[in-house]
Amino acid sequence: MGNSPILSSETPAAQPFTDSTIHSHEVFRLLVDAVSDYAIFVLDLDGIIASWNIGAERLNGYKAEEVIGKHFSIFYTEPDIASGKPAHELRIAAEAGRLEDEGWRVRKDGTRFWASVLITSIRDHSGKLIGFGKIIRDLTERRRTDQKYRLLVEQVMDYAIFYMDPTGVIQSWNLGAERLKGYRADEIIGKHFSRFYGHEDRERGLPAHVLGTAAATGHFEGEGWRYRKDGSRFWASVVVTALRDEEGNLYGFSKLTRDMSERKALLDALRQHSEELELRVREREQSNAELEAFSYSVSHDLRAPLRAIAGFAGALSEDYGPKLDDTARDFLNEIISATRRMNSQVQDLLDYGRVGRINMPVEPVNVADVLQEAVRQADVGRDPALIIDVPDGLYVAGYSQVLAQVFFNLISNALKFSSQSARPEVRVWAEEHDGRVRVSIKDNGIGIAPEHQERIWNVFERLHDRAAYPGSGIGLAIVKRAMTRMNGSCGLESALGNGSTFWIELRRALPPGKETRS
Amino acid sequence: MSDRLVLLVEDDPSDVRLIQRAFNKLQTSVPMTRLTNGDDAVAYLSGEGPYENRVAHPLPGLLLLDIKLPRRSGFEVLDWLRKQKTALRRLPVVMLTSSRHSADVNRAYDLGANSYLAKPETPGELDELASRFQSYWFSLNQPPELHGNAGATAR
Repeated sequence: MGNSPILSSETPAAQPFTDSTIHSHEVFRLLVDAVSDYAIFVLDLDGIIASWNIGAERLNGYKAEEVIGKHFSIFYTEPDIASGKPAHELRIAAEAGRLEDEGWRVRKDGTRFWASVLITSIRDHSGKLIGFGKIIRDLTERRRTDQKYRLLVEQVMDYAIFYMDPTGVIQSWNLGAERLKGYRADEIIGKHFSRFYGHEDRERGLPAHVLGTAAATGHFEGEGWRYRKDGSRFWASVVVTALRDEEGNLYGFSKLTRDMSERKALLDALRQHSEELELRVREREQSNAELEAFSYSVSHDLRAPLRAIAGFAGALSEDYGPKLDDTARDFLNEIISATRRMNSQVQDLLDYGRVGRINMPVEPVNVADVLQEAVRQADVGRDPALIIDVPDGLYVAGYSQVLAQVFFNLISNALKFSSQSARPEVRVWAEEHDGRVRVSIKDNGIGIAPEHQERIWNVFERLHDRAAYPGSGIGLAIVKRAMTRMNGSCGLESALGNGSTFWIELRRALPPGKETRS
Repeated sequence: MSDRLVLLVEDDPSDVRLIQRAFNKLQTSVPMTRLTNGDDAVAYLSGEGPYENRVAHPLPGLLLLDIKLPRRSGFEVLDWLRKQKTALRRLPVVMLTSSRHSADVNRAYDLGANSYLAKPETPGELDELASRFQSYWFSLNQPPELHGNAGATAR
């Protein structure tokens, strides 16, 4: 406010009595009288009020006639009067030429206001003190606002908020800063803010970079390690804002720091966790690849000697059969049938491993198509015992290749077990209930006693000797594993002597191309 | 070149003996040259090194190729063959392998195999394979020209 000409001690009010300025003095007096936002009045040497303007009347509540001739101490609070403040202020103004002050003042009605006060000494042209000019402004509102913000900033506990001068020297310090960084205000104000940074960050000039960026772009935002008074560090989120006056001159920076250590620890833990997970996935992919290689090698290398045994046993029987006796030929046949068994056993084991391992993208599968494929694979299409009654166009959510294997196993099993009945019969049909499709395969074979119905699903589980019903004992284990992998289920209804009905269930699906509704 | 000569590339001596036995039982014999690894197959087909003399080592009319071979695999031999600039690249190739993996089957066809046979598990099946093989490839099938430059037919 010192910039304003009417408040300057060099104003024309300091030379009111020269003839040449009479006219302008008159204009000036009218102006002062009319100013309503400032109380402007004149005191004599003793502090008696000699003039009064509209602003003064508005601000202090007195009319000119009430107040002119009174001592100006009527505007002061009782404690100020008791401490001799009015006289003191006049003395200072007389000695220094001017005095600026902010403080509480009292209106006519006794209420207080926060006043910005300027008292200027008035001297005649010989330099003799003849009185004082006084200008008062009501800053109550601004003070309240300032105080609100100051209190807010001071009391914030979760953020360190402080101000720095343009070089980075700390000018203020709130409670949050004390709590976060461990310094009290009196320890840190006047120190440079670079002390919060680690040695390396200081070496590479990070503090200067932060201020430089803020000065150039308005603000700097970043995260990094910062150090407390006790040397411990925390992960800080920082915003530095450049403070500029109306003309754009940089007069300092505000800095807001938040402790993000917990979030950082959480994020780090999360990152570490996901890295571990990725590692495990890679390990699993690798072990899957190894298993794949293993099964490849089993199917290729393990079967080669088997093929040789079967082949040479066959050649022996063919080329030298006539020279052998019945027992020798019998032995050869045993060898040949053993290799055949081992071959199918190896194949079943490979299938079992494969069903547990391969990707099974679930898709709409036409049950009738898959049954047809299974019948083709089992080469039982012309078997009169097999009666399939499944309508075309019934779709389930499954994986056709594996589902075909499931049907293959169940149909082969059923034909095998019904083969010894007088009139072998295997019926296959489908039912739908609650959005699921159940396909049943019923044979009229010997049936399975309830006590065995659980364990027949296990690998290598057999109920009968090989001579009666050949098989590897893996077929149903493959069925169970495959159904589990396709989110389906399987089961058995049977009674000894009454045949068996094996069933599988899968979720019903719409034909491909209509997958929008489920 | 001998139209009926089969170049068998197979490292398992038992398989070789059983295969040759099955083919020898046929009424019309099928001459067969046997190599045990992929590198030798490539050398033979290019007429290099010990196989320079085409009178002693004539070009075959068909390649019977295992997949799992020492050194260069059957896939690599097949890949090499189909990338040749000469008419040799048309040589019919039949894979004969113990692998029934669909990945292997698909890859063989992708690389340009003409047929893929799984090694039979029993002598009877092998006999049948030999007999059908002979009648298909050497009676029904029209063999391509294998000499000269592939020229205009080059893709």
